[in-house]
Amino acid sequence: MKLLPLILKNVFRKKARAILTIGSIILPLLVICLMGTFLRLLDRPDPAETRGMFRIVTRHKVGLASPLPMSYAEKIQQLDGAFAVTKFNWFGGKYIDNSARNFFARFAVEPETLVQVFDDATITQGSATDWFNDRAGSLVGEDLMKKFGWRIGDQIVLIGDIYPVTIQLTIRAVYQLPDGDSDALFFNREYLEEALPSFQGKVGTIWTKCRDGAAATRLSDEIDQMFENSPYPTKTETEKAFQMGFVSMLGNVKLLITSLGTIVVFVILLIAANTMALSARERIREIALLRTLGFSRVTILMLTLGESLMLALFGGILGLGLFVVGFRPLKASLINTPLSGFATAMTLFPEVLLLGLAITIFVGLFSGLVPAIQASMRPITEGLRHIG
Amino acid sequence: MAIPLKYNIRNLFVRKITTGLTVLGIGLVVAVFLSVMSLSEGLARVFKASGSTRNVLVLRQNSQSEVQSGISRNQVPLILTLPGIEKDIDGNPLASSELVVMLNLKKIDGGASNVTLRGISEKSPLLRPQFKLIEGRMFSPGLSEVIVSRSISERFKNCRLGDTIHFGVYKWKVVGIFDAGGTAPDSEIWTDVEGAMNSFKRPSYSSVLVRTTDKASRDQFIAALAGDPRLALEGKVERVYYDEQTSTAAPIKFFGIFIGVIMAIGAGFGAMNTMYAAVSTRTKEIAMLRVLGFSRLAILTSFIVEALCLALLGGLLGCLLGILTVELALSGVTGTTNFTTFSEVVFAFRLTPKILLTGIILSLFIGLFGGILPATQAAFTKIILALRQIE
Repeated sequence: MKLLPLILKNVFRKKARAILTIGSIILPLLVICLMGTFLRLLDRPDPAETRGMFRIVTRHKVGLASPLPMSYAEKIQQLDGAFAVTKFNWFGGKYIDNSARNFFARFAVEPETLVQVFDDATITQGSATDWFNDRAGSLVGEDLMKKFGWRIGDQIVLIGDIYPVTIQLTIRAVYQLPDGDSDALFFNREYLEEALPSFQGKVGTIWTKCRDGAAATRLSDEIDQMFENSPYPTKTETEKAFQMGFVSMLGNVKLLITSLGTIVVFVILLIAANTMALSARERIREIALLRTLGFSRVTILMLTLGESLMLALFGGILGLGLFVVGFRPLKASLINTPLSGFATAMTLFPEVLLLGLAITIFVGLFSGLVPAIQASMRPITEGLRHIG
Repeated sequence: MAIPLKYNIRNLFVRKITTGLTVLGIGLVVAVFLSVMSLSEGLARVFKASGSTRNVLVLRQNSQSEVQSGISRNQVPLILTLPGIEKDIDGNPLASSELVVMLNLKKIDGGASNVTLRGISEKSPLLRPQFKLIEGRMFSPGLSEVIVSRSISERFKNCRLGDTIHFGVYKWKVVGIFDAGGTAPDSEIWTDVEGAMNSFKRPSYSSVLVRTTDKASRDQFIAALAGDPRLALEGKVERVYYDEQTSTAAPIKFFGIFIGVIMAIGAGFGAMNTMYAAVSTRTKEIAMLRVLGFSRLAILTSFIVEALCLALLGGLLGCLLGILTVELALSGVTGTTNFTTFSEVVFAFRLTPKILLTGIILSLFIGLFGGILPATQAAFTKIILALRQIE
């Protein structure tokens, strides 16, 4: 495009203005990338769709705080289509203190069946056998290891609250889930049963790996029907539905963030449009001169739109680049704030970068639209007559 | 001598489009900031107003909340012998043993959430002065009846007067609606404690709420409880217990300030652009003012004031937009999860004058930030060069 050098020159005609506008695009774009990351985290991919992991979760119908009897797990295991069954109990407790930074999920589980149900996880450090053989051992997620700088063999002390005991665990193995968060700690329920006899026989949630999708749907209903009239009625749902349940408890967070994001985009648009309006007004006479030289209306339109697009792209690419480069430091700094939980799960999603690019192009085109049309449509004589 | 304010204000209105765009940009940034802050404030308000400074909540040691706590039946008489508890007219201690259970209920507009069911004792309403029964009647113990807060009845299915809530194999009839003036019980369903313990097969209570006579006896009670070796319990001032749950609002407040600051800098750059443009078109004019005798300081101040006026307009617009948004779109109650109790907390967006003031101050900062460099450039224009300038 022969016009490109001209467009570039025009963009940086007033260096300060260009830099300021680019700066005012970069910052809100970072905010948009952050919000986009958060929204993307809320929308977890369905392990059934992405990895063929058909897992269902059974809990007491009334709520998570009510336990189920252990015998239910055995009964579920005998159903046709139930490939493997494991038991979870939320331990809770306190690690060092109750700050947001030190909060993570801690479960008492049955190690051997856990790895059967979650066979899509890989052990990245240590070994599962080590964990099976150490009753006071624990399986820790890769994200947690990185966050706290733990190593295999480290001791973790948890001060219980729901279960009033203090337990000491040794890290024996580290796991990584493909596209889930690897940020939980698991230990052997037998350890808790010995420490607290009243804990025996109770289960918080039962996770079942089903043979296939059809079995998952059928079993969800079958299990609930089986226990419907017992003293502990159940509610069974897919893994994804279970997790989305927690998200829906947050309320209209998605709506809030999306609305905020839209307004932020609008603000960027306004600032960029302001710049374009300013520079267009200064060049009215100049553009009229270009028209007398023979440049067509369309060319003028292209010039102006090209300018706004280029300006936006400079801001967009620098902003996205800054986001990519500054991702790790940003994540590290957020871990010590109330947004710690979000920070731990933060990942660099390509979709978010694509969204940023799309928004940049959108802003580039629309901020320059009105000035471009005005400039191209203005009669030559009016332009020449204009007093800057 | 200072340059008259009229000069600056007139100038703002000469270039309407640019002024308009900048004001709108700043206005939106302020409006967004105000909205997030009013969310945080509304949430925090529930916790700050809840609980009395004269009530002490007795929990098991190391429990963060009632959900994690357990107090056995035989511990209750021991608690009631401790000093400091106020007595009612019959001479009985003013205390209520309570059970807290989380129920997973379906919301009217989709999804589900945990709602706190509180099993209360006879004296419980006396300990919570903001509680008021507004419709129906109080439940009768042992008859599977509940009363529901107005906010919960509006947000969740099957919770209105006369409806039946199903949990587990039991059905509970809603016989009354209550209001707790924006405090914690507004997120709860109440029933009698014995019935609840029976249905959910809980052998022990979650907590005991005790009314003490005054501050001195309150502290006496807490000390006596801590010092008793037979009971592994601790007492928290009820108001403090709820205050500590504002950790739910903390991420939102942090998020709001974080975004507010970044967006303010962005908007500041936009304002700077506008001011630079203003300065560059008026170079000859500024030179004229200097020739007339206005000092550099006068020019500097004048342009800073212009920037501040611009930003203030944006701030006022932002406040207006914020008020409209909160009053129209975000009025009424909404709910989210209380991270400490892991159940629903109902709240309303609250835009206080203090938050509005913060919004205005934010806009003034944007103006100052955006105006200072261009104003400096204007003040240090070389008169001769400026007068010679053709454009």
